[in-house]
Amino acid sequence: MKDFKLDNEPKITSGFTTPDGYFDTFSEKVLAQLPEQEWKVISIFSSKKTWYYAAVAILILMLSVPIYTKYSNQQEEIDSATLENYIAYQSNISEEEIVNLLQQEDLDKMKLEFNVDDAAIEDALNSNSNLEQYIID
Amino acid sequence: MQDEKDFIQELLNPKTQNVAFQKLLRDYQRPLYNHIRNIVLNHDDADDVLQNTFIKVFQYLKDFKGESKLFSWMYRIATNEAITFINKKSKRNGTTSEAMQTKIVDNLKADTYFDGNEIQIKLQKAVALLPEKQQLVFKMKYYEELKYEELSEILGTSVGALKASYHHAVKKIEDFVKNN
Repeated sequence: MKDFKLDNEPKITSGFTTPDGYFDTFSEKVLAQLPEQEWKVISIFSSKKTWYYAAVAILILMLSVPIYTKYSNQQEEIDSATLENYIAYQSNISEEEIVNLLQQEDLDKMKLEFNVDDAAIEDALNSNSNLEQYIID
Repeated sequence: MQDEKDFIQELLNPKTQNVAFQKLLRDYQRPLYNHIRNIVLNHDDADDVLQNTFIKVFQYLKDFKGESKLFSWMYRIATNEAITFINKKSKRNGTTSEAMQTKIVDNLKADTYFDGNEIQIKLQKAVALLPEKQQLVFKMKYYEELKYEELSEILGTSVGALKASYHHAVKKIEDFVKNN
């Protein structure tokens, strides 16, 4: 081949071909490999949201601790009051049984208080004009 | 250029991303396939490299600064992918990429997806003997008919140097054809 000049020749193509319909399905083949990455993009966004909500939730919990404590204490007080009332009005415990449950010390205290009451009673009796009448009766 | 900026925004916005990326695939699959096929020569390899190219384009879109055109950025990724592929393949086969290219070109006639006459085969053989850079410049200028300015953006080489490379390549090719 003498005097071969590329520019003088008709265009020489590469000669490469592709299978029939190759480019019709190529896009799908690539797109099928992408969703996972797409989801990643979305998941970063949603996890940011999750962190945001989590932070708000923690803040609310922290703020509500003192309020909860306050209310729960009140609840206890109410409960003990109810309990006292219940014991006072609903129980069948006799005075004797209560005395048996009391310690000697408690009884002594009560005696002392009772002594003070004796004096008051004496005064009351002294000032009472109907006393003699009562004694006769 | 404004259109390209808008298009890049569509590619980055999760809401419009899917439609925009499909358009990108439609517009670029053929030219990028031809570019990759001219480097790797075999259809199956070109198919693999083209898929990887688009996946990389998708992955790195967020890092695309718009300093160069989308067109040349994608060609650059495709070129790098194709050259990395033939280097890896030749290493795996315990040979050089030049020797592997020559072997593939020698067997082009047997390739199901090659339909060329004697002169086409002769040209492929002549190109396979060129140094890597001259091969690349010749294939992009002659087969793919890209402009020197486009080549310059893709390969990061001055237009003057590219013209010199191309003329050296043509001279070598013409000598080869004359003597064979």
